[in-house]
Amino acid sequence: MTEASPKRPNFLTRHGMLIFVVTLAILFPFIVGLIEGQSPATVIASEGGNSKFLMGLAVEVFILALFALSYDVLLGITGLLSFGHQMFFAVGAYGSGIMLKSLGWSLPLTLLGILVLAILQALLFGVVLPRVHGITFALVTLGIASMFWIVIQSPDVGDWTGGDVGLQGASSLVPAWINTNDHRFRFYLMALAVLVLFYLVFRRIVSSPTGAVMVANRENQDRALMLGYNTLWFKMFALVITSIAAAIAGMLWTMHQPIVTPTVAGLGWVVAALLMVLMGGIGTLTGAIIGAAMFRLLSFYLERWFGGGASLMLGVTYVLLVLFLPYGIVGTWRLKQARVSEGRKRLVALVTGKGG
Amino acid sequence: MTTTTVAAPTRGTSTSRWLRKNRGKLALAAFFAFVLFSGLFMMETNDWIITIIRGLAVGAITFLVASGLSLIFGLMDVLSLAHGELYMLGAYVGWTIYVRPDTFLDALTPIALVLSGMALLPLWRRIASMWTAGKWARIIAPILVGVAGLVIVVVLFPKFPMSMWNLDVYTEAPINNSVALDQGLQEVPPPADFDGVSPLVGIIGIWLGGALLGLGIAGGIERKAEVPASKPGVGAYTIAGGVALLALLIYVVNDPLTDWWYGLGTSPRFFFALVITVVLAFGLGSFIEVVFIRPLYDRLLYQLMMTLGLGFIIIELVRSVWGRPGFTMPKPAVFNGHGDACPGEGLGGMFSGCSTIKIFDSRVRMYNEVFIILVGILVLVTITLVIKRTRLGMIIRAGVQDSEMVEALGINVRRVFTITFGIGVALAALGGVIAAPAIGLNTGMGATVLLLALIAMAIGGLTSFPGAAVGAVIVGLLQQFMIKYGSIGIPVPWMDEPFKPSPVLVPASAILVMIVVLLVLPHGFFGREE
Repeated sequence: MTEASPKRPNFLTRHGMLIFVVTLAILFPFIVGLIEGQSPATVIASEGGNSKFLMGLAVEVFILALFALSYDVLLGITGLLSFGHQMFFAVGAYGSGIMLKSLGWSLPLTLLGILVLAILQALLFGVVLPRVHGITFALVTLGIASMFWIVIQSPDVGDWTGGDVGLQGASSLVPAWINTNDHRFRFYLMALAVLVLFYLVFRRIVSSPTGAVMVANRENQDRALMLGYNTLWFKMFALVITSIAAAIAGMLWTMHQPIVTPTVAGLGWVVAALLMVLMGGIGTLTGAIIGAAMFRLLSFYLERWFGGGASLMLGVTYVLLVLFLPYGIVGTWRLKQARVSEGRKRLVALVTGKGG
Repeated sequence: MTTTTVAAPTRGTSTSRWLRKNRGKLALAAFFAFVLFSGLFMMETNDWIITIIRGLAVGAITFLVASGLSLIFGLMDVLSLAHGELYMLGAYVGWTIYVRPDTFLDALTPIALVLSGMALLPLWRRIASMWTAGKWARIIAPILVGVAGLVIVVVLFPKFPMSMWNLDVYTEAPINNSVALDQGLQEVPPPADFDGVSPLVGIIGIWLGGALLGLGIAGGIERKAEVPASKPGVGAYTIAGGVALLALLIYVVNDPLTDWWYGLGTSPRFFFALVITVVLAFGLGSFIEVVFIRPLYDRLLYQLMMTLGLGFIIIELVRSVWGRPGFTMPKPAVFNGHGDACPGEGLGGMFSGCSTIKIFDSRVRMYNEVFIILVGILVLVTITLVIKRTRLGMIIRAGVQDSEMVEALGINVRRVFTITFGIGVALAALGGVIAAPAIGLNTGMGATVLLLALIAMAIGGLTSFPGAAVGAVIVGLLQQFMIKYGSIGIPVPWMDEPFKPSPVLVPASAILVMIVVLLVLPHGFFGREE
C-alpha cells in the first residue's frame, strides 16, 4: 500500500449499506416464506401465498422507486420543474403494451423500441426547453402530457390503448421464463436489478463533473452560463436519461400489471412522484427510493385500514409532512448526522471513560 | 399586473415601436376577430350568437376562479392548487345555506364557538411565548394541546342539535331536498336537541376545544416566530367575543329564525346563500393563508404540495358530509318565470321575469347565460376599481412589482397577503355558488374548473389580472365553439363530409392553445417580461 490515498475507505465501507440493503431485499421473500412455513423451493417457484403477494407489492415499490429516482434527478439535481414526467412513464407503459400486444413484437425488440421512444419524447420536451423557464415550463410540459393523456383515452385509438378502461393483458404476453405470474421471484430479482443498476448509474452521473454542472444549473443558471457552460445541453442530457429511466419503469409496470389504466398518464402520477421525492428528501437519490417505499406501503395500508377515507389520510400526511419534515427523511437525517455523530462520540467517551 | 398604456404615437418610429411592443395584443385581437367572424360563415347566425353567449358564460365562471389565482400568484408567488376544490366547497356550502338553512343554522353555533376560541390567537401566542421549556417540550407540547383540542371538538360536534339530510336513506338524500324546494313542497324540519350532553357543557366544552386548538397552533407559530408576540389588541377580544355572542344568539333564536328563513321565497334565500358563502370563504381563505401558506413562502414546491394536500382533504370532507353522488341546485324563482308573455324579447326582456329571453331568434336562458355573465362583468369591474383606485389596490400593485420594497416602506405586507388570499378564495366560492344551479354539484367539478383556470391564467400572463379575464373568455369561447362544431361539423372544401371534432378534442383544444401561446409568448398576452 502506498500513500496514494490512505484515507480512501475500502470497497466494503463505501458500498456496505447498498450491499446490505440489496442482500436484505433478495432474502426478503425467503424470510416471509419462513414465517409462513413455506420452503425456499416453493418461494422460488412462486406458487402463491403471502410471499408471492408481498413480492408483487415490492415489485411495485421498485418500479415506483425507479420513477421517483428519475424525477429526483430531473427536479432535485438539475432543477427542472416538469409536470410532464408522467408522460415519460406512460409512453413506456403504453408503448410496450402496444408493441407486445398489437404489434406482436418480442421482448428485446420492445425494449429497443421503448429506448427509441424515450429518446424521442425527451427531444420533444427539449424543443420547448430553451423557450420557457420555471413555472411556465411546468405548465407547458403539463399541457403536452395532458394532450397525451387525452389522446390515449379517446375512443378513436381504443383498439390500441383500450380507451378509458386501460390496456389489458399485455403482461401475459411476456415470455414465461420471466413472466410475473409464472416466475414472480425471477421478475422480482429483475426489477430489483434494474433499480440498482439505474441507482448506480445515476449516482455515478451526479458525482461526475457533468453532475456538478447539473447541480450548478439548479443553484444558479445565470452563473453557470457565465462560467461558460451551455446549460441547455446539460438539461437536455438530464431529460434524456430520466426519460429512459421512466420509460423503463413504465415498461416494467406493463409487464407486471394485468391492466394499465390511463391513471399512469394523469397529473396524479407525477404528483405521486413529487410526493415520494419530497418524502424521502429532494436531491438525495436514496431519498427517492425510501420515499417510494413509504408512499406505496402507506397508501396500501391506509386503504386497508381506513377504506374510503384513505385519501383524506393521505392529504393529512401531505400537509403534516410539508409543515414538519420539509427536508424529507434523508435530507433531515443528513442535516442531523453531524450532531448525531457528535453525540455518539460523547456516548462512547462516557462509556469507556476516555476523552473528556 | 398593470398594463401601462403607451402614449399615443406621434412619429413614425414610435408607431412601429408601439406595434412591436404590443404585438402580443395585436396578434390576440387579430386571432379573436378571425375566429369570431369566420364562425359567421360556417354556422347559422343563431347558432353563432348562442355559442358566443354560452362561451362567455363559461368564461365568466372560469374568470371567477382564475382571477383569484392570478391575484394570489401575482402578489405572493403562490400557485394555489386547492383553488378548484375551494370553488367546489363554495358550491356545496352555498347549496346548504340555500336549500337547508336549518342545517346551516344548527351547524353555525358550534363552528362559531370553535372559531371564537381560536380567534384569541394573539392572546394564545402571548401565553405561549411566556412559557419557557426545553426544545423538545416546545415541539411536543403544542402538538399535544392542539390534538387534545381537536379531539374535544370532534367528540362534541355531533352532540350538538343538528337536523340534517341523511345519505343512507334515499328519500332524505340531498337531491330530494333540492327537488322539494324546487316544487315548493319543502317542510320545516322539527327542531333537534342536544344529544347526551347538557347544553352548558356542550357550549363551554366546544369553546374550550377551540381555545386549545388555537393554543396549539400558537405554540407552533411561536416556536419559529422571528418577531415576538405583541400584546393582543382590543380587536382580537372584540372579534372573539362578538363571534361567541353571535353563536349564542343563533342558538337561542334558532327555531323562530329557521321558521322565518323557510318562509322566505327562493330568491332572497339565494341572495343570502351568495352573501354568506362569500363572507365565510373570505374567512376560510385568510385562515388557510395564516396557518398553512405563511410558513412556506419562497418554497414553491412545498406550497404546491401543501395546496394539493388541502385539496385532497376538502374533497374527502365534501364526500363524507354531502355524499359521493352529485345533485342539483334549484334556480331561484326570479329566473324561473314563464307564461304567455315569455320568452321576453331582446335584452329589454330581461326584466319581464321570464326564464328565457330571445336575442336575434336565439333563446337565451336568463340564469345560465345572462345572470352568470352579468356577475362576471360585475366582479371584473369591482376588482379592477379596487386595484386601480383604492389604497389596498395600490399596495397590491406595488407588491406585485416588489413586495420586499413595499415591506421596507413600512407597510404590513403580510396582512395584505392574508386579505388577498381571502379575496381569492371568496371569488372562487362565489363562482361555485353561481355555477351550481347551472351545472349541478359533484365532487369532480373542482378539478375541471382548475384546469380551465390554469390555462386561462397561463394564456393571459400568470400575474396579470386583465390577462386572467381575457384568458378565461378565450378558453370559454374555444370550448363552446368546439362543442358546437362537434355537432354541426366544419365544412372543409376538399372533404365530402364536414369535419366533426370529437368530444375528446374539447379540453384538448384549450390545452393546445395554451402550449402554442406559451411557446410563442412565454409570458402570455399580458404578462411582463422580466
